[in-house]
Amino acid sequence: MQSDYLLLTVFLAIAIVFPLIPLAMAWAWARLFSPAKPGKDKQSSYECGIESTGPAQIQFQSHYYLYALVFLVFDVETVFLMPFAAAFLKLPFSAFLALMVFLLLLVEGLVWAWAKGILAWK
Amino acid sequence: MLTALLPETILVVTALVVLGFGVSVPKSRQLITVATLLGGFAAAAAIFLLPVDGNFLHGMVVLDPLARIFKLVILGLGLVAVVFASDSFPEIHFAESLALILFSTVGMMLLTGTEDLLMIFIALELTSIPLYILAAFAKESRSSAEAGLKYFLIGSVSAAFLLYGLSLIYGVTGSTNLHAISNLSGIPDPLLIAGIVLTLAGFAFKVAAVPFQLWAPDVYEGAPTAAAALIASGSKVAGIFILAKILTFGLGHWVGSAGWGQFLPGWAPVLALMAAASVLLGNIAALVQSNVKRLLAYSAIAHGGYLLIGLSSAGPESLTAVLFYVVIYALTTAGAFGVVAIVEKQRGGSRLDDFDGLAKSSPVLAICLLVFFISLAGIPPLAGFFGKFYLFTSALADGRLLWLVVLAVAMNAVSLYYYLIVLKHAFVFPAPEGIRPANASASGFLVGALALAVLALGLAPDLLLAPLVKQNGKQHEAFRAPRAETHPPTLASSAILNSGH
Repeated sequence: MQSDYLLLTVFLAIAIVFPLIPLAMAWAWARLFSPAKPGKDKQSSYECGIESTGPAQIQFQSHYYLYALVFLVFDVETVFLMPFAAAFLKLPFSAFLALMVFLLLLVEGLVWAWAKGILAWK
Repeated sequence: MLTALLPETILVVTALVVLGFGVSVPKSRQLITVATLLGGFAAAAAIFLLPVDGNFLHGMVVLDPLARIFKLVILGLGLVAVVFASDSFPEIHFAESLALILFSTVGMMLLTGTEDLLMIFIALELTSIPLYILAAFAKESRSSAEAGLKYFLIGSVSAAFLLYGLSLIYGVTGSTNLHAISNLSGIPDPLLIAGIVLTLAGFAFKVAAVPFQLWAPDVYEGAPTAAAALIASGSKVAGIFILAKILTFGLGHWVGSAGWGQFLPGWAPVLALMAAASVLLGNIAALVQSNVKRLLAYSAIAHGGYLLIGLSSAGPESLTAVLFYVVIYALTTAGAFGVVAIVEKQRGGSRLDDFDGLAKSSPVLAICLLVFFISLAGIPPLAGFFGKFYLFTSALADGRLLWLVVLAVAMNAVSLYYYLIVLKHAFVFPAPEGIRPANASASGFLVGALALAVLALGLAPDLLLAPLVKQNGKQHEAFRAPRAETHPPTLASSAILNSGH
């Protein structure tokens, strides 16, 4: 019983030390081998190598996340479709029905999003 | 198998149809509400007219009369939220809010009918995610956004706790099935203790027990009132039910003891400490609230504490008492939130001042408010009194938890003060000028019906208690006996799973 708890403590210690080691190594590396030499060019923000234009803190369209969400749903759907397609000939008819229900649910989601006007770019 | 999940299937189909209404006829809110209610009634009929008992897919879905009672109660509470929704949800995206209420209700119903850790977690997430969205549904209101964000952040962290706890329990016992877990015994592994504590932390969030209560006041206050009603009633019933099932059936060997001076390691002392803290903090913090929804939130924390007392005494009698009390509490709170929703719609707020002179302007509503708050305070002849009486006497059965029950009864006396403050505003203070009586509405009738139910269950508690006692005793026997799978997995999905070889 006691030794079991000791094991947990050892785990805890390792769990704390383990991530600290690479952090310490990175810090030491930075201190020893790459001392900071700030300059005008070095501190300017990097934008594909061309001169930066305007401030970085601007407002941008967050509307795009809705497309990303809808895309993600159908992306994940293919993960389920692939194994189904691979084993299609060995499956009973009920499996086909189950997957059609699954697809129907996703399609209703898309139709709903479409009808709600979410896919229209504003 | 498919008939076992028929009520849930009907609800999901209803939700999809309602979503369809939301895009085809978004303006006709009454039609949408009626369609939702019809689907709900069909599901209720399916629960009772097609009773299927048994154990499906290795315990993923388990149906027995006790689960059926609770499915019905939860479905009822979900439909109560649907009716209140027309008063408290914004008109835009109305159908979506009802569909989300139904999805959440499906999650709660699945939660009552399973004994598998994996299914418990999935059902809990299905319950929570729509509730996060519902809490943030009033997009124009800052406090609703705050409620949704807080509920989501704290909820997802607690879900992580729960998942970690459940995975540790699985790692130690080698099974996700509660029945298989309950067959193990012996000295608990330290990892198992860690798993139990993490699981308790996850569920303590669900029932808003101290120290996991911080979300409750802001969410109850900011969320649309119907969403708050569902969070306070249905979600609590489902959370307590499954917590009781996991602890007493799955982990019954590691109960420990919370008796004064005779602590034994296990889950009972952890629950007892959380219960004591909840009862203290909930009742004392409620004293200074000026918003009735916030007050109800602190009262919910206190009542969560009472329920945990019953669970930590861990007898078959006290389990029945906990299940009885949580149903009574949910009905009462749902009704109280209904009154708040009507007052809010009429006067534009839920501060104590907004209840001034309610007895003059709408006397029936004020009497309903009286019934609910007196029942929450635990005064006979209302249901709350009998529930508390039964809960405390059953917790005292073996005499070890005397300290906790004394604390709870003392704090319950404190609670009388803040419940009566609300009633004082409603009955003693004069109404402000220019307040017209509330129009009769569906919510109003439902509030009246809930008040009658609270009164009836106080006068004749046997209506609910007798079936609970009977089914709970049966379940105890059934769980102790070794069982065979009554129905092997037959669903198409298991055909997919098994077709690999």
